[in-house]
Amino acid sequence: MSADLLLARRERVLDAMDSAGIDVLVLGRQDNAGYACGMRRLWTAGTRPFGAGCIVVGATRRIHALSSWDAGIESPMTFDDLYPITWNPRIMAASMAGVDGLARAGRIGVDELTPSFRRAAANFAPRSEIAPADDLMARVRRHKLPGEIEAIASGCAAAWVGVEAALGAAGGTDPAVAAIRALAGVGVTVPSSGVRAEQRGAELAVDVGVICDLYEGGVGGVFAGGRRAGPTALVDACRPGASFDDLSAAAATGDWLVRGLGMGFERPVIGPGVGTGERLEAGMVLSVTDGHHRDVVHVTADGPAVLSQRP
Amino acid sequence: MSGDGAPVDEIPPPAVVDLRRMGVERLARLRDEMRSQGVDGAVLMHGPHVTYATGHVPEAVDASHASHRRAMAIVSASDRPARLHAHDAVMEAASGSAETGDPLWPELDDGAGEVGSAIAQVLGDVTGRRVAVDAVTGAMARAGVLRGAELVDASRVLGPARLVKTEDELACLDQAQRHTERAMVAARAACIPGSTRAEVAGAFLAALRDGDSEPGLGYRNGIDPIFQPMPLHRDGGPRTSTGHVAFPIGVENPVFAEGDLVWVDAGVGWQGYMSDFGCTWVAGRAPSPSEQSLCDRWIAVLEASLAVVGPGVTLGDVARAARTVEPDETPWLPQFYLAHGAGLESAEMPMIGTDLGQAFDDGFELAAGMVLVFEPVIWVDGVGGYRAEEVVAVTDDGWRRLGGGDHYEPFRT
Repeated sequence: MSADLLLARRERVLDAMDSAGIDVLVLGRQDNAGYACGMRRLWTAGTRPFGAGCIVVGATRRIHALSSWDAGIESPMTFDDLYPITWNPRIMAASMAGVDGLARAGRIGVDELTPSFRRAAANFAPRSEIAPADDLMARVRRHKLPGEIEAIASGCAAAWVGVEAALGAAGGTDPAVAAIRALAGVGVTVPSSGVRAEQRGAELAVDVGVICDLYEGGVGGVFAGGRRAGPTALVDACRPGASFDDLSAAAATGDWLVRGLGMGFERPVIGPGVGTGERLEAGMVLSVTDGHHRDVVHVTADGPAVLSQRP
Repeated sequence: MSGDGAPVDEIPPPAVVDLRRMGVERLARLRDEMRSQGVDGAVLMHGPHVTYATGHVPEAVDASHASHRRAMAIVSASDRPARLHAHDAVMEAASGSAETGDPLWPELDDGAGEVGSAIAQVLGDVTGRRVAVDAVTGAMARAGVLRGAELVDASRVLGPARLVKTEDELACLDQAQRHTERAMVAARAACIPGSTRAEVAGAFLAALRDGDSEPGLGYRNGIDPIFQPMPLHRDGGPRTSTGHVAFPIGVENPVFAEGDLVWVDAGVGWQGYMSDFGCTWVAGRAPSPSEQSLCDRWIAVLEASLAVVGPGVTLGDVARAARTVEPDETPWLPQFYLAHGAGLESAEMPMIGTDLGQAFDDGFELAAGMVLVFEPVIWVDGVGGYRAEEVVAVTDDGWRRLGGGDHYEPFRT
């Protein structure tokens, strides 16, 4: 990952904290932590209990992370910015007390609220107000930097490696197995949504979602004779200002979803029954699903730019 | 192996799982725990907790996907059915006792209102009542969902309920373990000089799916499979705060060289129950005598530990037994444990030898139905380390092994 991109993200987070009056951010979500500090963790499927995975301190402009070693640490974070993994809440509280600026924070923003964190914070930061800051991180991540657009396009190209392998799978071979092998061959073993492949007569419905270097890539479609059925009107509707009604009218199926895509699944989320008040904005990157067809689209002032073109 | 002493080819076939019975028994245990702690309701959003309450197993997708498309379970301490709201298809056999509702979007500001309505339908007015929660999302907090309730951590209720497994839960763990062992055969064949971590992981993930009678639905890869070439010296890898080696790290894609000691660690879910497979391979050659002696000492630690495992024994007793055969140095990684439990998560209580300390270990007694995954480490600086995992269930008179095969090749053949 480029050092410039990480520094730009970090500055965005610190600036947003200043604007929102948040002194310290405590981030439990891997995607938020990865955005702020660039640390790649071992992916774990599914939800995770909230814990202080990453701490951003406005006053010192330092970022601290939970790790017992410096593998996967990106500059400017150093070994001295880490606090070790522990099973013991008292040791964790001592680590928190050692984070410069945390104890005197007026407002601590968190991306999820739990009773245990409130209880612990009452000890290591007794005068602090705990406030939800998931929306702060969502706002920061909503518009992509140029380096992020490149990273997402690379992820989409990797997803195509899986799709091509599924299409080329020999008779009797599970297309999904062929895709998994081919992705591993280019170093990609971390799924976002994973590999889905379903042979239906002469047609193959396939969808591949991967994470590469913290960013998501994906593509999906129904293929016949190696060719994907054409893009849907929904992709073309992804323009600045587009409303729920615009997208709903463009969708060809009842099974559609337009959602943010970056470091995984992001906001906005617009689909049947959700996101009725949203409007698309230039700078967003969206995963656009209509039935089996899926493209990744960068919303620009000139209209939709498809990042998931077949390489 | 001591204890049950069953040679590999005489290990019994997997038991048949009764999913409906498992669901009924789990919900009853959860409710017993809620009532004994005076908890009126539970609002669950953490995947394993939703599974425990309803049987529904959320898809094994990236955490950002899993969080946005959360399944939610709402459970009253009274006898009314548990409520399940899921985005993925609900499998009737596993979730038959729960009533289902529309998918919810608790991460989104325009989804929080419906979360509040669902909670009110099942729990009524929560003002002044004790409600167990995994978390409250920012959107729920902004919308005032659960405002006025006395919130407690759901893990305080789910933790004790999940500690002792039912026979069906043990059978699920056994089945997950056996499937992982089968898929590892392909991974071991791929782990040769010149291959990369990702290629070996790909062989494992492909075999996992290839051998699944319900591809994509049955066995679900739970954690990044780890195939980590280890340094020969403690200071030969990343800098650590423990003074020992860094493990597991899986973010790079190293190329294996002949003679690499490769530590393997993987977990696969079946019906949500997580296997835990660990072993050490040598890339491209047979173990040297000094490497073989690491494994021999590892086996001795395992046997000494298992010799004392049984109901009423404390975690401290097991740790002391392990140390008797390795008196000079603690035979496990300092950031981890001699053994941990397993169930709907790949590492859960009871944990032996953690930084929770001696008093914790001495105050915690094993009981029949608990699961222990032993993962000692023998390290000799300059030779390297041997690490493997062995999964057992505590029984009325000792322990029995979960999983079907001996996975100590190439050290024991």
